[in-house]
Formats: sequence, structure tokens, C-alpha cells
Amino acid sequence: MTAPTQAHDGATGAITRAPRKPAPTAFTVIGLAAVLLITLWAGAGIDFTLAPLIHDLTRGEEVLRQFVPNWSFLGRDAVITASLTTLYMAIISSVIGCAVAMVVALLASKVSAPNAVVYQVAKAVMSAVRSLPDVAYGLLFVAFVGTGALGGMAALIMFNIGVAAKLTAESIDAVDPGPIEAVEAAGGNRIQRAFTAIIPQVAPNYFSYCFYVFELNLRASLVIGVVGGGGIGQTIMTELARFNYDNISAVIVLFIVVVFVLDRVSRAIRRRLT
Amino acid sequence: MIEFRDVSVTYPTGTKGLDGVSLTIPEGEFVVIVGLSGAGKSTLVRSINGLVPITGGSLQVGETDLSGIRRRSLRTLRSDIGMIFQGFNLVTRTSVMNNVLTGRLHSTSSLRSMLGWYSRADKEIAFDALERVGILEKAWVRASQLSGGQQQRVAIARALAQQPRVMLADEPVASLDPPTANAVMRDLQRINRELGITTVVNLHFLDLARRYGDRIIGMRAGKVVFDGTGAQADDAVFERIYGRSLTAEDVAAPGAPARAGTDAGAGTDAGAGADASTETGTGTRDGEPLDDAASTSPGSVQAAGTPRVASTPTDPAATP
Ligand SMILES: Nc1ncnc2c1ncn2[C@@H]1O[C@H](COP(=O)(O)OP(=O)(O)OP(=O)(O)O)[C@@H](O)[C@H]1O
Ligand SMILES: [Mg+2]
Repeated sequence: MTAPTQAHDGATGAITRAPRKPAPTAFTVIGLAAVLLITLWAGAGIDFTLAPLIHDLTRGEEVLRQFVPNWSFLGRDAVITASLTTLYMAIISSVIGCAVAMVVALLASKVSAPNAVVYQVAKAVMSAVRSLPDVAYGLLFVAFVGTGALGGMAALIMFNIGVAAKLTAESIDAVDPGPIEAVEAAGGNRIQRAFTAIIPQVAPNYFSYCFYVFELNLRASLVIGVVGGGGIGQTIMTELARFNYDNISAVIVLFIVVVFVLDRVSRAIRRRLT
Repeated sequence: MIEFRDVSVTYPTGTKGLDGVSLTIPEGEFVVIVGLSGAGKSTLVRSINGLVPITGGSLQVGETDLSGIRRRSLRTLRSDIGMIFQGFNLVTRTSVMNNVLTGRLHSTSSLRSMLGWYSRADKEIAFDALERVGILEKAWVRASQLSGGQQQRVAIARALAQQPRVMLADEPVASLDPPTANAVMRDLQRINRELGITTVVNLHFLDLARRYGDRIIGMRAGKVVFDGTGAQADDAVFERIYGRSLTAEDVAAPGAPARAGTDAGAGTDAGAGADASTETGTGTRDGEPLDDAASTSPGSVQAAGTPRVASTPTDPAATP
């Protein structure tokens, strides 16, 4: 190990002159050892083993057979309606959620907040909104307004505000302050500063977050439906209760295709924006 | 008229930006401020439009007193003062025209500026400003596609669109090559002469200052150490401003990186002139996407410099 290194050092002057890479510190070594030990200990604690994966491999085949997609299911009126509901819910929620998120983001960035108090309050609101996951909002709003698309949408909107406001506020933080200074020097007010110097700079990022949030909504709609928030998730719930796995897998395949396509589309749009 | 009376600026960090500055800048004067880095040039210029608040003394700009000024009156004051920056400070991903229209914000309602819906009169003022700096044909180009010199001209047009009475420039040519720097300085000088806009420009170097300033103010450690004409700014003055005598390195044009900018500028003055005439000569309206209303006579172009009060075109219907 050391011999070739020395030979190398001798051969080229540049290598000799370059500072030697420092050996890992005791802290690094002990840290790595600790992580390894904790992992082993935790594994032993829950009797972790990969054996069932091998023993029960054949049993899975039987289950899988039930999952062969029943494509005709997708053509049913109720399924089409539910899919469209999911799509509309995703669109409306992202539009409303992102619009509100922009306002929250402007208030929650030091660059654009009118004063320190507003900034702190907006930040606090933002983390509070973000502290609940989508399912929690689903349960909450379904309890408030009853089952159906309205509760689902309210849940998605809250979820979207949390995500988009945080990302947008971070983009605003990183904006070039030059144009803001220029607008200020030209006698512009706060609203003008936001709309002429800040928003044009964050627009590409912001729109890409909007598309991202839309993608999230499509995915979240599954779980939102499961808790009673309407759309395709509710259909899946019903089919699950009836053990119609072939119908469910058809819906899931459709879902994967739709999300994949929209992902591509939104990525292409995002590329054009920046 | 701008009047500094024993003005001092102490930053929150405790650094003294200005230290007992007293100055009177009469209407229409072209003043150049020189000094080393950290001398307080930017602080001086930025105190005039309140970007830096003064912490002592009194500062009067026109009829406005800047000590303890309220936000609203500060905005009114700023609308009368155009400003140009070293880094141009354009929104580079939007069009030149949108950038220039920023200069019209002071007479545009919030609602209109949210929608980017500027009045016809404001657009005309913006086109006039672009024509004055010779880049009218770039009106609909994205600002990021322009060269540094062109971007600085857009910034000048933006300031002009305010129809200001005072023009401030904080090292407007520091990031430009010598010929372009000279061309931009000439633009500023021409605008000062033609429109009578009081102009205060920060420059690092004495020779550019001598060439363009009616009056030169030398600063050092927050104090004014020289105030006079370019002719009066001799070697002794140089020493007072820069804290050392003029060395051979300062005058030798090539190979002296710190001074290469300005000296090369002096050496290629003929070239710079040609550059200016080609660049500013392109300001014709030929082939422009303009309607007839925008093709104004030289007379109305001249009106771009008249005080704002006389010609502020606001649409009362659009004011919420
Ligand atoms: N925002 C600020 N906060 C704290 N100190 C500042 C601030 N801006 C400037 N200063 C300090 O005030 C002094 C004057 O700075 P100023 O920017 O006016 O100098 P300058 O002459 O413009 O220099 P340069 O040629 O480098 O632009 C410097 O010591 C600087 O460090
Ligand atoms: Mg400066």
C-alpha cells in the first residue's frame, strides 16, 4: 500500500509538493463505528431477518395473480368521473394554494416583508401549516365539511400552501437585491417592489414549484380519497373493501402513466421557464 | 440644489461612512466624487436619495429635508432622483422596456403596476428615454441579451424615464471596458448638458473625473479632502485623496492592472469616440415596432427633462 505511493511521489515532483490528504480523525472513526454498532443492535432488537423474503416468495405469486389489471374497469362512468374529479381537484387546489403561497412567501422573506413582526408571524404560520401532513388535513377537513371533493380540496390547498410558500420564500431570499434597490431608488412602493423586482426574478422557480405542487396533488389525491376527500382515492378504497385487486391495479397503472406523463410535461415547461 | 451641512453617517456596525461633510451642489452641475475604496463615496451618493439614512447634520435636497423624513415623502423625493448603479441592477430576465418602465412607477398606481399595465404616455416617455441613450431598437429585447455597456444605457434610460431633477451614479463605469466607460460617461455628460439634470457621479479614478466633471470632490475616510475643478486637481491633490504620491505605475498605461482601465481609456479616446458614435447613432426609429404616437419630434423628446410636476401623466380612472 505504502510502497507504490512512495514510488509515485518520487516519480512526479508535483505530487510531492501537494499537501498530503489528512488521515481520518479519531472522531470520524469512532463515529462510523458507533453508527455500525447502533444499526446492528437495532437489527438484533427487532429480530431482523430477510428469511421470509425467500421462504414466502412462492406465496406472493398467488397474490400477484389477483393483481392482473382489469382494464375494462377504467372505462366505467364512475371511474371516469372520479378520475376527472381528482384532476380538477388537483388543478383548483394548486391554483388557489400557489396564489396564497406567493402572498405568504412575500411576507415570510426578509427581502420583501414589510417589517420584522410580519416576517416572524408569517414564518410561524408557514411552519405551523407545514407541520401537518396531507392525510392529517384530509381527516381534519372531512370532519369539518363532510366527505366529498370540497374537504379534499381544502386539505390539498393547505398542504400546497405549506410546500409552495416555503420553497418560494427561499427563492425570494436568494433574489438579486440590485433590482429591488433600483425600484426603491425610483420611488416605488412595496407592492411595486414585489411585482416589478421580486416576482419577475422568482417567476421561473415559482412556476416550477406550482407544477411540482400539482404533481404532489395528483399523488396526494389517492390518500385524500382514502380518508373520504373524494376523487379516485375513494374509488380505490371501495374496491379495496371488495378485494377487487384487479381493478385497483388497473387504476394504479393508469396513475403511474398519468403522473409520469405530467411529470415529463411539467419538467419540459419548467425548462422553458428558466 | 443639494446642501449637506455637517452631515455624518454612522452605520449600525459603528463604521463612519461620512464624517462632517458640508457641500453645496447647485442645480445643473456635473459633480464627480473620487476617492479610495471605503472613502465614503457610495455613502455620500446614497444619502442624497435616502438609501442610506443620515445620522447627523442636515441634508437638504431641493425643498426636502432628509433628516427624519417619512417613508411617503421619501418616495416622493426619490421619484425626482434617478439612480445608476455599478452592477446596472436590471431585472435581466425581462425586456428592456419593462426595465425602463420601472422609472415610471412613481406615477403608476399599485394596481396598474401589478398588472404591468402602464399608460400610453408612460410608454412614450420610456421610448424617449431609450432613444436618448441610443438603444431604442433594443426595447423588446431581453435585458440579459445586452452587453454591459448597453445594459448600463438601459439603466440610464430607466433613470431618465423618471424625468428626474437629480441623477446619481454610483461607479457607473467600474464594470465596463475603457471605451465603453468613456461612451457611458459621455452619455451622462450629454444628458446633464441637454436636460440640465444635476448629476453626481462616483468614480474611482481621477483622470476620468478630470475629463468629465465640472467639479471634483475628493473624499478620504468619510471627509471631503478636495473640492474644486479638474484643473485644480494636481499631483498634490492626488496625494491628499489617495494618500500617496502619483507613481510611475499610475501613469504607465499597460501592465498596471489597477490603473489600466482609465489609462487605456485615455489612450484609445479616438476609438472610444467612434464606438460612441456608432452605438448612439443607432438610436433611429427605423424599423421599430412603434406606432405613430410614439414617434415624437425632437421638441417633445427634450421635454423628458422638464420637472415631473408639469408632465406627470396619470390615468385617474385607473387609480383605485
Ligand atoms: N451597509 C453598511 N454597513 C456597514 N458599514 C458600511 C456599509 N456600507 C458601507 N460601510 C462602510 O462605510 C465606509 C464607506 O463605505 P462606502 O461604500 O461609502 O465607500 P466607497 O468610497 O463607496 O468605497 P468603494 O469604492 O469600495 O465603493 C466603509 O468603511 C464601509 O466599510
Ligand atoms: Mg462604493
